Amino acid sequence: MLDIKKIRDDFPILDKKILDNKDLIYLDTAASAQKPKVVIDEINSFYSNNYANVSRGVHTLSVESTFKYEDARKKVQKFINADSEREIIFTKSATESINLLANSFALKYINEGDEIILTVMEHHSNIIPWFLIRDRYKCNILFANIDSTGNIDQKHFESLISEKTKLVSITHLSNVFGTIVNQDIVNLCNKAGIPILLDGCQSAAHIPIDVKALGCDYYVFSGHKLYAPTGVGVFYGRENLIEELPPYQGGGGMIADVSTDGATFTDLPAKFEAGTPPLVEAYGLGVAIDYVTEIGMSEISEHELKLTNYALHKMKELDFVDIHGANGNKHSIISFNIKNIHSHEVSSFLDVEGVAIRAGHHCCQPLMKHLSLNSTARVSFGVYNTENEIDTFISALKKCRDFFTK
Amino acid sequence: MNDLIKELYQEIILDHGQSPRNFGECDPHNRSADGHNPLCGDNLKLTFFINNEDVIEDIKFTGEGCAISLASASLMTEKLKGKKIHDAEEIFSDFTNLVSGTNEDLKVLNEEDSLYALKGVGGFPMRVKCATMAWHAFKSALKS
Repeated sequence: MLDIKKIRDDFPILDKKILDNKDLIYLDTAASAQKPKVVIDEINSFYSNNYANVSRGVHTLSVESTFKYEDARKKVQKFINADSEREIIFTKSATESINLLANSFALKYINEGDEIILTVMEHHSNIIPWFLIRDRYKCNILFANIDSTGNIDQKHFESLISEKTKLVSITHLSNVFGTIVNQDIVNLCNKAGIPILLDGCQSAAHIPIDVKALGCDYYVFSGHKLYAPTGVGVFYGRENLIEELPPYQGGGGMIADVSTDGATFTDLPAKFEAGTPPLVEAYGLGVAIDYVTEIGMSEISEHELKLTNYALHKMKELDFVDIHGANGNKHSIISFNIKNIHSHEVSSFLDVEGVAIRAGHHCCQPLMKHLSLNSTARVSFGVYNTENEIDTFISALKKCRDFFTK
Repeated sequence: MNDLIKELYQEIILDHGQSPRNFGECDPHNRSADGHNPLCGDNLKLTFFINNEDVIEDIKFTGEGCAISLASASLMTEKLKGKKIHDAEEIFSDFTNLVSGTNEDLKVLNEEDSLYALKGVGGFPMRVKCATMAWHAFKSALKS
C-alpha cells in the first residue's frame, strides 16, 4: 500500500485552488505529470551549485555537470533494464527520439517500395516522422487495425508482415484506450526478424519496464510524463543495432575528428547527441527516476490499476457515458464521451469544478476517424490520485450531464 | 453552479449549439472557406453569396464541433445575413475583440446583440479558438 498522503505532500501544485477555491483534481497525467518537490529543488540546486556545459571543459563545474549528466544516463539504463548505458541516448523529447530512429534507420535501410508497419491508434508523433520518410524514400506506411477493445487486431497485423517489412513502430500503452500491447505482437516481430520500436510515452511512468524482457529493439519515452521536467526524452536502441546507424543530427559533441574535408564520429552514445544536451533536464529525469523507484514501480502500477478499475466501474454505472474500448484491459487511461455533449463542454464544465481532464483528438486523428468520432474526453491517473478524487469526478460528470440536458 | 460556466453557456448558446440556424450549403454561392481547429479537430464549411451591391444575400455553414463553435457559427450567419461586406468586417473585428477578453471599445456590437452572449468565452482562454473558427473562415473566404 502506498502512503498517498505522504506522496501528495511531495507535489506542491496539489495545494493549488481552482477558480472558486475548488481543490485541484488533476486527471491529466497522460498529457504531462506534475512534479515532486525533490525534482524542482534538485534542478534549482544544479543551476545554483554545479552548472556548466558537459563533456567539454576540464574545470571543476564542467566535471561536476558531466558527472551528474552521465549518472542520469546510468539511472535510465537501470530503470528500463538496458544492457549498457551506451544504449541510452538523451533527446529533447520522445518525439525527437522517434524522429531520430526514422531518419537514421531510413538513411541506412529504407528503399523504394519497402514497408513500415504502424497501427491506426498511434499518436501523431509515431505517424508523422514515418510520413516524412515515406515522402523522401517512396516507401509505404501500413496501418494495422484495432479491435473493439482497443487492442491491435492480431490477425490483421500478421497479414501485413511480408518480406517488404523493414520496421514495426507501435505504441506500448495506448494514450487513448490505455491498452497495453500484447506480447505476442512483439514476439511475432522477433520471430520474423523485423526490428520493433515500442513508443513508451504512456508506459514508462505506469508499469515496470524491462526492455530485454519485452524483446523490443527500440524504446522511447519522455521525461515530463515521468514526473521529470519538460525538454528531455530518451531513445533506447540495442547496442549492436544502433552501432550500425548513422548519426541523426550533426554538431558539437558527436565528432571524433573534423577537418575541412570531412569528419569522423564518436562512439555511442555521444554519436546521437549533437549539440549541448538537455543536461539539467536529464539530471531532473534521474531524480524523478529515483523518486518513483523509491516508491516502487510495481506499487505505483498496482495503485494506478486499482484507480483505473475503480473509475471504470463507476463510469459504467452512468448510462450517459460511452467508454471507448470499454472491455479492454486498461491501465491509467480512460477515454469517453458523454452522449450528445462535446468533450470541450465536458472539460470546461469539469474545469470549474476543479477537475482537470483532457478533451480533443489526443493527437490521434487517424484513430478518431477510425472510430467516427470528432473528439473524446480522457481521464488519466498518476501516483498522486485517489479514489476520493474519482468520486468527485463522477459527481461532476453527473452535474455536467444535468446542466446540458436541462 | 459556477458563474463562469453560466456565463459561458447562456441559454442562447446552448440553443444554437443544439439547433444551429442556417445549417447547410448556399446554392448558389460565390464565396466559401473551411474552418479548422487543429487543437481539437473541430471543422466547418462556410458558404455565402455576395450580390452586385456587396451585400451578403445568403450565408450557411455545415460542420461538426462543440456547442461554442456551432453556436458562434450559427449566430454569425444570422448576424451577417443581409449585411454589406464593409459592415460585416466591422462586426468581425468587434466580435474577435469581444471574445478574446480584451477591453477594446466595441464599434458596432452592443449588449443587445445576440453575439454578446459569447462574451463569456473570454473567461476560458483555451476556448477562444472555438468561438472564432467560423469567423476566421468568413474572413478568409472574403479574401479568396
